Order: sequence, then C-alpha cells, then structure tokens
Amino acid sequence: MKQVKSIAKEASIPYGTWGTSYFPAWQSSPLAEVNIGQFAGEAMARILSKRGVSSTHLDYLMIGSTVPWHWKFWNATVVASCLGRRIPGFHVEQACATGLQAVVLAAFQVQSGASEAVGVLTFDRTSDSPASIFPERRAYRRTEVISDVWDNFGFDPSTESAMISSAGNVARKHKIDRNEIDELTAFRYQQYFEGKESGFLQRVALPLEILNVQGKTMGMIAEDIGVKKVSLESLRAMRDLDTCVTGGTQTHAADGMATLLVTTVEKAKEISTRPEINISFVAKAEVRVLPASMPEAPALAVKKLLIQTGLTMEDMVVVKDHNPFAVNDAVFSKVMGYDWHKMNNNGSPLVWGHPQGPTLTRVIIEALEEAVDLGGGYVLVFGCAAGDVGIAAIFKVNDKK
Amino acid sequence: MIISGAGGIVGAGKVMQFASRLIDFNVPIIALDLPGAPNGIAKQYKGLQASFGTEKANKIMGNVIQLNYDGNTLPPTLKQFNPKFLIEAIPEKLELKKAHYALFRKEFPNIHIWSVTSGFPANELGVGIAHPAFPHEVNKVYEIVEDNPSAHTHLLWAMGLIPMQVSDDWSFVLDVFFCGLLQASIQFCNKTNTPYWKADKYIRQILGPNPFRAHDVIGAKGANFLTWSCLYHLGKKYGALFAPAAALTERKDSGQSWYPVNHFRPLVNWQLEGNQEEELKAIVYGALIQMTTIMLHEKRADLTTMNAIGELCAQFTNGLPAFIRKIGTQQAIAWVEKYHRLVPAAANTQWYPETIQNLHTSEWQQLYVNAEHDGTNGFIAISRESYNYDVNEELNRAIDWLHLEGIKKVVLTSDFHFSTQMVGADTTEFFAAINDSSIGEQISSDWSKTARRLYDEFEISIGFVNGKRCMGGMLELMMHCQYLIATDQVRFAMPEVTLPVIPGMEGCHWVLRKTEKSNQSKMLEMLMHGQQLSAKQATGFLVDFCGNIKECLAMVKSILSNGENALPKRKIVGEAMHDIATEIHKIRLSDVPNIQAAQKEIAGCVLASCASSVDEALFVQAKMSANFMSGQLFRKGKIGTEYDKITQN
Repeated sequence: MKQVKSIAKEASIPYGTWGTSYFPAWQSSPLAEVNIGQFAGEAMARILSKRGVSSTHLDYLMIGSTVPWHWKFWNATVVASCLGRRIPGFHVEQACATGLQAVVLAAFQVQSGASEAVGVLTFDRTSDSPASIFPERRAYRRTEVISDVWDNFGFDPSTESAMISSAGNVARKHKIDRNEIDELTAFRYQQYFEGKESGFLQRVALPLEILNVQGKTMGMIAEDIGVKKVSLESLRAMRDLDTCVTGGTQTHAADGMATLLVTTVEKAKEISTRPEINISFVAKAEVRVLPASMPEAPALAVKKLLIQTGLTMEDMVVVKDHNPFAVNDAVFSKVMGYDWHKMNNNGSPLVWGHPQGPTLTRVIIEALEEAVDLGGGYVLVFGCAAGDVGIAAIFKVNDKK
Repeated sequence: MIISGAGGIVGAGKVMQFASRLIDFNVPIIALDLPGAPNGIAKQYKGLQASFGTEKANKIMGNVIQLNYDGNTLPPTLKQFNPKFLIEAIPEKLELKKAHYALFRKEFPNIHIWSVTSGFPANELGVGIAHPAFPHEVNKVYEIVEDNPSAHTHLLWAMGLIPMQVSDDWSFVLDVFFCGLLQASIQFCNKTNTPYWKADKYIRQILGPNPFRAHDVIGAKGANFLTWSCLYHLGKKYGALFAPAAALTERKDSGQSWYPVNHFRPLVNWQLEGNQEEELKAIVYGALIQMTTIMLHEKRADLTTMNAIGELCAQFTNGLPAFIRKIGTQQAIAWVEKYHRLVPAAANTQWYPETIQNLHTSEWQQLYVNAEHDGTNGFIAISRESYNYDVNEELNRAIDWLHLEGIKKVVLTSDFHFSTQMVGADTTEFFAAINDSSIGEQISSDWSKTARRLYDEFEISIGFVNGKRCMGGMLELMMHCQYLIATDQVRFAMPEVTLPVIPGMEGCHWVLRKTEKSNQSKMLEMLMHGQQLSAKQATGFLVDFCGNIKECLAMVKSILSNGENALPKRKIVGEAMHDIATEIHKIRLSDVPNIQAAQKEIAGCVLASCASSVDEALFVQAKMSANFMSGQLFRKGKIGTEYDKITQN
C-alpha cells in the first residue's frame, strides 16, 4: 500500500462501533410519524449498546441533517439528551454531502485535541417535511411557502433548474446511452440483493422497533422498505423523465439515521471490537461544477482528490458513492476510466434510498465494512450535493492481524 | 405533638398519618414550617378524602394546626399547646438541624425529639431517629435507632405504625437498599446505554422495584438529593461501591427527572440482548448482596427486620436475606464476584462473604414465620402480609419443629398488630402458572397440604386474627385451623372473583364442609361476590368467636386449656356433599360479563370440590384453580394484566 500523509493522523474510526437504521421509503413506515432527531438519538444509543460501546465514552456529538425537524433550534444538545448524554456538539448541513462532511469535521475535532471521542450522528425524515413560510418582498406573492424537500428538489434558486434536469444535462453532455443506464441500474439492484442475501447488510443495518406514545409498538424498521427486485426489462420499459432518467434509474426519498464514531487512535483501540484494525483519514476534496451539472461533480472531486494524494484508482480497494441518479456512476466511469461494475458492491443509495443527511454516512459504513472484509486498503467514498457540488474522501483501513 | 418541616414530602405525609390516628384522642398536630415553604399539607387532602370520606377528612384537617415561624424563634402560641413530642423533618443539613433542636430545647426543655433523617446517625444529631418509608402518608414502617423500645416507640406501635429497630449508622437499612439499587442501576445503564425507563422494567422483573420511577414519583429534586447525599456519605466511609454516579450528581444538581419528559416519550424500544440480562443481574444482585453483607457485618438490623424493610419499603419482591437464602451462598458470592469484574471499582470496597455462609441457621430460616412454645402450647406468627413460597416453606418447618418439641396445641396468627393485614396470596407467585398449569397445580396443592396440617396434625389449632383484614389465600390458610377467633375490627373477604382467580387453597369447599346448611349461603356469597364482612358478620360460618382483644385472648386461653368445653369444634364433613348445588344456584350473578364468567368458574369449582371426598377435593380444587390460571379470563384479569405489564418488553 502506498503511504500518504493523513489529514487527521490523530483521528481514527473504531471498527465495529457503527451502524445504520434501514432506510424505509418515504411515507412507508412508522418513521414517517416521529421526531427524527429524537429517533436518531435513541437509535444511536441502541446501536452502540448492540456494539458493546458505552455512550459514556463520547465527549462530543456531531449531528447532520438537512430537513428541518421539531426543536432543531436546540441542535446537537437535544439529540444528545435523547441519546442519554449531556454532551456538547453541533449541527452540520450540506445536503447529501452532510454525512461525509460530518465525519471529516469530527476527525478535525479529534485532531485538534478538542475531543477524544466524537459521535457522528446523521439523520433525516423526508416524509412529511415541514412547509416553511417566508416573507419575500421581491416575490409577487409577497409570501412564499416551501415544502422543504420537494420544492427544493424542484428548483435550484441559483440556476432555476430542477435536480432532475441536472442529470439530463450531464447525460447529454457525456453522451450517455439509456441502455447503459438501465443495465447499470439493474446491476446496482443485483449488488444490493447480493449484499442482503450474503448477510452483509445485516452487519451494518440494525432492526429498530418504534413505539407510539402509549409505549406500544408502531412497527419494526427491519428492512429498506420499498426496495424490490427490478428486472432489466422493466427498467427498459420505463418512460424518460429527462435524458437517461426514469423512475427506476433515480433514487427515492427515504427516512433513516446512520452513526459512527471518530476517536483518538488510542480510544479506538479501547472500544473497537477489533482493536487490531486502524481506520484513518487520508484526504478530502470538494469541487463545484457548472450550473445544473451536479452528477458530473463527484467525478471531478475524485480527480482532484487523486491529484492531491498521488493515489490512483488502482490503489482503491473499495469504491463507493452516493448516486442519486444512475447517470452519476456512468459519468464517473467515463471521466475516470473506471469500470462501474467494480464499485458499489453490496448496495448504494440509487437502490436503498435517499434520506439526505445519513446517506453518505451509510455509504462510508458499508465501504469500510467491505474494506475490512477484503483485508484492508484505501477506500474511496464520494458523492454529489445540491448546488452542483462534488465531495470525495479517502480512508485507509489497516488490518494488523 | 409538633411536626416541623411539615410542608415537605416527609413532613406533610407524617402530619396526615399522625393527625388521622390521633384525632380520636383529641391530640392536635402542630404543623410547623417556614412562611415561604411549599404547602404539601393541602395536597394530602384528596388522599384523605379517598381514604376516610369528606366528613372525616375535614375533621382530620381540622385537627392540624398550621403555624409558621422564621426558623430562629418559635411562635409564642406554641406554648399554649404544651408540646411533648417533636418530629423533625427539616432539610438534611446538620447545623440547621442542631440549631433547630436547640431552639426547641430552650423553650421546651423536656420535649422528646425524633428526626426523620435519612442519613445522619443519632450520635451526630443528638436526638432520636425515626426514619420513615415512602409513601409517607401511607407507609407505616419507621426505622428506629434506640437500644430498647422507648415509650415513643410504644406509641407508634399503639397507633398501628411499625417501628423497626436499626443500628446507628450513616444511612439506615432502607436507604442503603433504596439508594444502593439506584447506584447499581445507573452503573448498568452506563455500561449498556439502556435507557432508565427500560432498565426499570427489567429490574422490576428480576427484583420488584422501579428505582428510577420511584425517584421521579417521590419528586426527582428531593429524592435525587437524598439519594446522592446518602451515597456520598456512604462512599466516603466505604469507598467506590457507594460513590455517587455522575448521572446522579447531575440530577441532584439539576433536579431533572429520570424518565423522559412527555414530549420525548420513548420512541425506540429496547431489549436486553446477548449477555446483557446476565450483566444486569450481576450488577444489581452483586451490588445489593455486597451492601447487605456490609450491613450484616455491622449488625445494622436483625435478618427479619432487614428482610421486611426490603419488602415493605424498598418494594423488593423478596427481601435481600430471603433472596440470598433462595440462591444460596455460592451463587450469592458468584454474583458479587461477577459484579466486581464488570464494575472493578466496587471491588475496592470491603465486603463480608462470611456473613452469608450459615444460611441453615435458625435466624436465616425464620424470616417470615416465627414459632415458639411454652412447653404445652405452640405459637406461630406469620410476619408477611401475603402468602408465598417462602412463607409456605417456613410454616412447614415451624410445624415440623413444634412436632419435634412434642407440642400438640398451636395458635397461628400474623404479627400481633393493630394494622396487621393478611392480604392473601402473593399473586406474583402465580405468574409461572400462566404458561404451565402444572406449576399452578403444584403451588395450589402444596399450599393446601400445608394448610391441612393445621387441621390434621394438632389436637387443637386456633387461627387468631386481629388487625385490619384477612383475605384470600391468607384467609384460606387461617380457616384450616380448627377454630377461627377474630377481633371485632377485622374484616374478612374472598376477593378472588374480582381478580379473577379460583381460590386455590380449598376456599371453595373447606368452610362449607364445617358449616351448617342454613349458613352455607353466607360463605357462598363471600366467594361469589368478594364483598368484605366484619368479624361479627362472619361469625357462625367462618369465624367461631369474635370480640374485643381481651375477650379474644381469653377465649384462646380457654380453648387451649379446655378444648371443646370452651367452644365446640366444628367438624369437617369428609364425604362428598351434593346438596350444595341447591344453595349455589340461589346466588345471584353479576351483570358484568367478566365477573359473571368468573362466578360461574368459581361455582363450578365449589360444586366439583364439594362433590368429592375431602381427600379428593384438595386435588380437584388445585387442578381447577391451575387450569383457570392458564386461561383467557385470568390473562385478561388483574393478575394476567400485571404479568403482561411486567414481563412484556
């Protein structure tokens, strides 16, 4: 393995302390009915308990979410209280980059010596997102009402275009073929169900039972509700919503949470289920591309990141991304000359959904788990975010067994 | 009598307890507090109304004289009442308390002072201790620090309160259990992230109480402070075993409750998994066993007292001594050792495994049932309000011992007390029968066989009931004595139909076999409707003699000396009694469907057991009772619902 200087050499991700809820599609589960911040705090306590980690180790909480939730004003403190600890923390928000951004910021929090053990907790509920009312004197209606999820998906105020049209733009620019997109999508579904059937998914995602106010069960969140096997034929039969974008080749809104810890190297050894494994931070890059070109941004962020580090795609043992559109992966493949069959093993957001805040956290968790299975190496995680942003990071998994 | 700090939780509760008892003797209660103190007394009124009715509640409140003072000078009007007795319930600050006593002694040199302190030893306070248990308006137990019972302790006893002698140490027995359990529970929660509300549920299953809920119910701010204070001082003396956990210190400072606030009612359910249940047991059992050995080593109380305090005040299903006896020395030591592996700091506190080595000694074997004799007459006293496995075992041992001693006459009673209650069987014992009727049958037949020994194995056996009430399983036990003597104020009931459950200790046929036909309907009414009867109303079919305490004692003595010459013994009919069917069909049935269904089941048991010979009837009733406990009607009733509430996670 090539040696590269780390951006946060004091920080480490303790193996085996992470976990994610399943991501039920929006409006399809009890998660649609709850305060997602409270859910996330309680679920994190539960996940840490199942991992054998006492939350008393934590001294800081980095939360990430993008859809406003009740009592969001109180930020990480209220979520920490739901977790059972009165610790400080703050809130990170960068659309779908939130998960990766929060993990990197947690690393810097540890690297700076400010914290010994930071909990990264990302969550979102796209179901029933709030409708906000804004006084807007320049608008002819004087007052604007925005449904936070759907209205924002449909209109980028900087470019006046919808999210979906950015995928069409990029597909046209890179001359992506619809057939390739359908095949890629079918393959991503195959990867997900292989990961599910092999038991991989069950190692990272934990079932959670949701209670109503009477303390009675509302239901179990025990799978990515709404995700069903699809055939290539059915994908091919779907109509275009934009170039290379159909109902089947884009992700769906979902609810959920995902958490991992970032600690000092020593603390990671103390609390990890496999202390011989060291997971470190190598580098991170971000780019912003031309207006309405979001699916192109991740590829360019990765390009920048490889130049920064001197690493190549061949150095990566695991490559995984946030791919709200299948176009993202096709463009990445074209730009980087990398076979899209080699990435996103065991699943990706295109299949298991798009709850925004926790999306990239789950991608990281799945990527690191896969890297440990493979005996270690460099792990590339990347994705796009609203505003034509691309974000990418490299982690290093060292298994000294 | 003065109660100072009367507006607080303890003070207000005690004002009510004494005012309601002393009103008949025209002794007013002076409730003294600072002008700005919260008025806890007014909050007690609703409870008084519920217990005594509005008229009596108003009279009791009229017997309370509320006075304010500035803390430094006593109100001049106090003198006119010539107070003799002060119960102090002011905040737990040593200097404040000492100044308070000095103030009273200056004004009333002969006043007797007791503190309700939960921690300070008498030797630091310079006054006596009467530490009461929560809920203060109801709980009758007081931990008393004195070498021999004083006149004031006798007064408590005479008022139907329960003074229990404990040693003069920092924090008394109840507080070590109550606070120690919270401490251990926090340790478990810290280790596993289990939320407090869920830990409570599991602790209730394995031990009985809800430690976190208990603090919130008492009032988190006050209760957290008292628990912290107790643990802090114990920690200073004994080390890390007691040193207050950070979560407790945080709540002591903030007054925050342990359970989530309403708008954060729990969302994510929680089950203990893997070895977490074993860890919970190790931490909770281990800590409490370690603490118990310390108290045993220091001789803080005799075993029976320590056991009773755990059950009556700390809400343990079984007191710690009974629990240790049940699991045995080796397992008890193993729990502590495992606890120390999980919470290594606790191992730095000394503990005394040698104090739990001799579980076979009589002191350990008589936690609930005491037997004595004078060479001719035996005397067995049951000190537990509800009948359970332990009582049954101890009662059998007591009977065996009396036989060995050659005793042929016996009196069976409860603790000899004005407010004694013999409430029935401990219904938690039936939980195991819900899923396995053979267990129910075993319990029912075992207990019935024990009860029969009272009838079969003595020349004379007398059940002596005094106090408030005797009901259900305890009444079934007592009715097996050849004579049942009751003081006037006792009330009897067979409330099984309301739970519902089919009486399992021969209540469906035993008394009917010794009652003349004209009176059988009274017993059937009791069984089918569950209403309470006074001793007088029950005399003639259930009770053989009732009167005031002196008359009853005289009758007991007379029966013991003269047998049937003093009072004819009613004989049990051994053959099948088929004519009971006519009587039982005369009993009206309830309009409430579930009650009516239970009545029909009980009637069926009455018919079947009476239609059997007395030898067969024991097994007939045991089987029917057990089958009922595994059925839907029982499951939907009070015991089944409680079982679901406790066991469903």
